[in-house]
Amino acid sequence: MSTQTAAQSRRTGRFSGIWPPILIAVLFLAAWQIFVVARDIQPYLLPAPSLIVTNFFTDLSLMWAAAFYTGTTAFLGLVLGTVLGLVMALLASRFIVVNHLVTPLAAGLAAVPIIALTPILNNMFNITSRTPRVLVTMIIVLFPMFVNVTRGLLQVKPVQLELMRSMNAHPRTTLKVLRIPNAIPFFFTGLKVAAPLAVIAALVAEYFGGPQEGLGSRIASAAANTAYGRAWAYVVASIITGLIFYLVVVAVEKWTTPWTGRTRST
Amino acid sequence: MSSVQTSHQAVDVQGLWKIFNEGSNNEVTALSDINLSVKPGEFISLIGPSGCGKSTLLRVIGDLTGATRGEVFIAGETAPVAREKQLYGIAFQQAALFDWRTVRRNVELPLELQGLGKKERRERALELLELVQLSDFAEHRPWELSGGMQQRVAIARSLAVDPPLLLMDEPFGALDEMTRERMQNELLRICQETGKTIIFVTHSIPEAVYLSDRVIVMSPRPGRITHTVPIELGERNEDTRETDTFYAGVTAVREALRGRSASASPPRIEEL
Ligand SMILES: Nc1ncnc2c1ncn2[C@@H]1O[C@H](COP(=O)(O)OP(=O)(O)OP(=O)(O)O)[C@@H](O)[C@H]1O
Ligand SMILES: [Mg+2]
Repeated sequence: MSTQTAAQSRRTGRFSGIWPPILIAVLFLAAWQIFVVARDIQPYLLPAPSLIVTNFFTDLSLMWAAAFYTGTTAFLGLVLGTVLGLVMALLASRFIVVNHLVTPLAAGLAAVPIIALTPILNNMFNITSRTPRVLVTMIIVLFPMFVNVTRGLLQVKPVQLELMRSMNAHPRTTLKVLRIPNAIPFFFTGLKVAAPLAVIAALVAEYFGGPQEGLGSRIASAAANTAYGRAWAYVVASIITGLIFYLVVVAVEKWTTPWTGRTRST
Repeated sequence: MSSVQTSHQAVDVQGLWKIFNEGSNNEVTALSDINLSVKPGEFISLIGPSGCGKSTLLRVIGDLTGATRGEVFIAGETAPVAREKQLYGIAFQQAALFDWRTVRRNVELPLELQGLGKKERRERALELLELVQLSDFAEHRPWELSGGMQQRVAIARSLAVDPPLLLMDEPFGALDEMTRERMQNELLRICQETGKTIIFVTHSIPEAVYLSDRVIVMSPRPGRITHTVPIELGERNEDTRETDTFYAGVTAVREALRGRSASASPPRIEEL
């Protein structure tokens, strides 16, 4: 039964590889190009893929710099938010009171719209610095990390806890030997959500003034100058940046936790 | 606590009750008035229909869950103290292995918690894996093993700190007949060599009879001991399963499970 499902997932694994999405993307882009050219759609409504690609390559060096700037903001926010989320999750799993206290707090933070937050943080901190953007990103990252890691620390099989108890393990030992390893797949689930989210947060935070080097600023200024092909080219660059963040997480996960997703239900 | 005994019972359960969710409307009396004394070196099997409280009894003895009423002593110590002193090893109904550890490092876990050195730990684990015939799988991950193999890893782990008492909850349930008989003989050999006391839960009547000095028959709602069947098979060997004494034991346990007070004389059944 379990070998059969393993074989099945291996087989579907080949077909769900990278080729089907690429094929679909190519078909989609072709249809888009034909549609825009045939119906003579104006660029401010919808630029043709060829126009976006041309702009992409003429602006390549600026685009690199912009992606690097926004990527750095996203990365810093991601690291800070992850560290803070981990600390909060450890506290929450250790002390039930903290859990009751912190969970609504984290949920509350998650419900704060980034748009409402950014101008305030811009006033609180130096608007010409990266700081408010990093903080916005950190807050966005915090919630998925906290929720997932807390769940991983707490969702331990009762029989595994009983085993630890039978060995007279101190709670600290149980945390180290059982809870933390158990939470690692959950940690990566959280990080896979948080990493692309960090890029979006870092990018949107640029719409509210401050340094103009990032992807978000570039999209805004291109659109304001009716350079729609360029605006879309930066959108593509943003997508690629987010995708890179995601893929790096996936690679790290594959490399560090080979047991993830292999657990048999026994 | 009470009297100064010269030699303690390996396990002494007195007037034990376990009631889950006491007072609420989903109250379950899992164990009612259990009295059980196990001598050092004795092999006891618990048998009874599903839900009669066998696992719960093991858990209470191991101080993994508290007793509602009554007392449990292991080698003269109360259950919590016995647990702290690591006086028992336990193999659960589910293997309960850690997926992030190799098979060898799963077996090493109890030794690691005792602070044993890396090299000694490793040697001991490999020794135990040889005992359960899984040497070739030492560096595999638990999910690469079959259910029966996982269960054998769990048994190796329960033996790691060499405890005087073993609590085993249907450890051979997932094994094929041949492996099962081999593991039974291995277990008996370990007991004889090390003088371990064993409390063994099983659903198999022949297994209970073959392994045990005494078979404890339980019945559900509320979980209680109904019969104790002493088995006198002497030294076990290849022919033991063919002897009349063995068949008589099987019959006696089966009758007890059906709730009949058996008539046959040897072996006798002590009605409780
Ligand atoms: N944690 C718990 N909370 C509430 N009820 C429980 C709990 N654990 C066990 N029970 C109940 O206690 C009774 C005995 O359960 P137990 O697991 O000891 O049975 P068992 O004899 O081991 O059965 P099986 O042969 O199926 O393993 C059952 O009715 C069960 O529903
Ligand atoms: Mg059970």
